[in-house]
Formats: sequence, C-alpha cells, structure tokens
Amino acid sequence: MHIPDGVLPAQVCVAGYAVTGGVTWYVLRQIQRLPDPSAAVPKASLLAAAFFVGSSINIPVPPVSVHLVLNGLLGVLLGWYAWPAILIGLFLQAILIGHGGLTTLGVDGAMMGLPALVAHQVFQLWRRLPRSLPQPWSMGIAGFLAGAVGLGLAALIFFGLIIFTIPAEFDLSTERQALTLLVIAHIPLMLLEGTFTLLLVLFLLRVKPELLKGET
Amino acid sequence: MARSQGQRTSLKKHPRPGSPWMRGLGAVGGLIAGVTVGTAAAWGHGVDIQSRSSQVIEIQAAYDSGEPMATAQVRVYAPDDPETPRFMGQTDEQGRYQFAPDGPGDWEVAVRQAGHGEITVIPVTEAGAIAPTYQADSGLSPLQRGLMAGAVTWGCVGTALYFRRSKR
Repeated sequence: MHIPDGVLPAQVCVAGYAVTGGVTWYVLRQIQRLPDPSAAVPKASLLAAAFFVGSSINIPVPPVSVHLVLNGLLGVLLGWYAWPAILIGLFLQAILIGHGGLTTLGVDGAMMGLPALVAHQVFQLWRRLPRSLPQPWSMGIAGFLAGAVGLGLAALIFFGLIIFTIPAEFDLSTERQALTLLVIAHIPLMLLEGTFTLLLVLFLLRVKPELLKGET
Repeated sequence: MARSQGQRTSLKKHPRPGSPWMRGLGAVGGLIAGVTVGTAAAWGHGVDIQSRSSQVIEIQAAYDSGEPMATAQVRVYAPDDPETPRFMGQTDEQGRYQFAPDGPGDWEVAVRQAGHGEITVIPVTEAGAIAPTYQADSGLSPLQRGLMAGAVTWGCVGTALYFRRSKR
C-alpha cells in the first residue's frame, strides 16, 4: 500500500507534501482547541506502535500479498490524533524498514490519514442508528464500516494515484492489470480490518467504554 | 570483309532487345528470379550462427516480505541515455531478469509492478562486469525487522507511560 520513492512524478510528491502540511496544520489546531490536548497522547502513541507493526504483518491473498494498514482502526479510536499518529508511523516505517519513502511521505500520509479521519466520522454514525438497536450492535456495525471504509478509501486513492502517473515507457495495460489485481486483493483485507475493528470496539465497550465515546 | 560479314551475321542471329521474343524471355526470367528471391526469404536458405562470449548481468527483484516480483516490468537504461530504455522485458517467476550491457558506465534498472518498484544503478566496468564497489541491497533480515518493530513499540509504550504519568 505504501508508495515508494521513484514511483510518482516530483510534482505529485510536492502536491502530497502540500496537502499533508495543510491538513497537519488544521488537525493540530483542532487538537489544541480540546480541553486537554495531551490527554489522548498515550492512546495515540500506543496505536502508532500498532500501526507501525501492522504493516509488517503480510497476509497472502493469491496471487499477491497484502499487509495490514489499520488506518480505519486508528481513526475510530483516535479521531484527530489519528493523523499525527499515522504520520509518525509512516515516517518511522520509511526510515527504519524501507516501507514507503521520504519523497512520498506526504502522499502516503494523505493517502492513509484522510481515510482515517473519514473513518472516525463513519464511526460516529453509531449515534444516528435507530435507538431500538442495542448499543453493542450499533457500535459494532459502525466500527466494522469504519474499519473497512478506512482501508477501502486508502486503496482507492492508491489506485487513482498510480493509474494516472504510469510512466510512458512502461506498458500501461500490464501495469493496470497488476494494479487491479492488487486493489481487488484488498477487498478481503477490508473485511478483515472491519472485523478486527468491530471486535476491538466490542472489547473496549465492555472494559473501557470512555475510550469510544470521547469527542476527540 | 568476310569477318565483318560474319560479325554482322552473328549479330543478326541474336534477337533485338526490343523484340517480342526478348520481352517474353525477360518476363520469364524475372518471374523465376522473383520466385527464387521469394522462397529464399520465406525459407531462409542461408543460415549463419556466430557465437561470442559476453557478460550478462542478472537481477532478482523481490518484495521486502521475501516474495519474488514475478512478471514485473523491467526497463534498463544505458549510461549515455537515461531517458530511453535500452532493454525492456519482464521478470520470470523467480523475479529474475538478465541483460547484457554493451558499454561501461552506470546502468539504471527500473523494476515496477502495481505501483511498487525500485530503481537501482549498476556500475559496469570496461570488461563488462559489475564494478567491485557495487553492493546489492538485500534489505533487512527478519531478525532486524523484528528488532526495529520492538524498538519502535518500546519507544511508543515509553511515550505513552510518560504522558500518562505526567497527567497524575
């Protein structure tokens, strides 16, 4: 899922940094407006570690292999804090294990961070589900959708970014075919991350519900 | 006199170039020649195999999970033209690809598949071999990767504990 150095044109990399810079400024301003901006830092820090480790877990979906992303999960649990957590996780992945790259850090950050923010809003829909539905059900459904939507949106952005920037010297149809296969392989992963988010939401609802009901 | 007559006679025995007989003969000859050339092109009568030894560079592309990049697109750029690929092809099932550099310098090899890829520069000597200074980057071993993950997790847990403690 990470876009490495040398794959995207320089203009796209610069645009990625511009978008990520702008969103970072906005997100930090939102965090600063919270009553206690450092309150969620321990949670964000632990989930940044989960995000970092998650990308090392490869899941074979023949004929390709994909890895966990967990951006939807971070969005559900962290809200605005998901953005800096993902950026830090991506930075460490790029310099320590070579996932992604420094020139594409802006693009990768926007590709995974923006869907995480969307996933948080999707999870908040649990409040709008019918009152007749038990709370574990409404939260579970919203959690599943948020986990799946976070990854699905990231995969779609990845597809769009790559398909429109294939260099002329490479065979377009071959690359498009391989890319389509890779994106299709993310459908089972969407279900997996959705299920994982659902289970975690149900677990936290039982042991520490205040983690889920915060407005962050 | 008689000699000149004889010459003249002999000249008379040959048909003139513009005569119908000559034109017919020319047409038949042309037809035979055309058929001969045509069959030579189709059947390839003359085959010549020459041999020479050359240095071939083999690359192997793999994802960092260790899985080979099978049927990935490969483009090789010569040192004198980094814009136009000199060799184009794709890797085999093991992620391997071979090319024979035809000159010294830094050859660029780009491998790409589904938005994933890498560009590496292979320095080639005058003899056609890879320069001894070149070191292939084999990536991290699973142990190194595990250590990195452990170190980052440790750092994040430490950060979490620090902020949790400072709140109390």
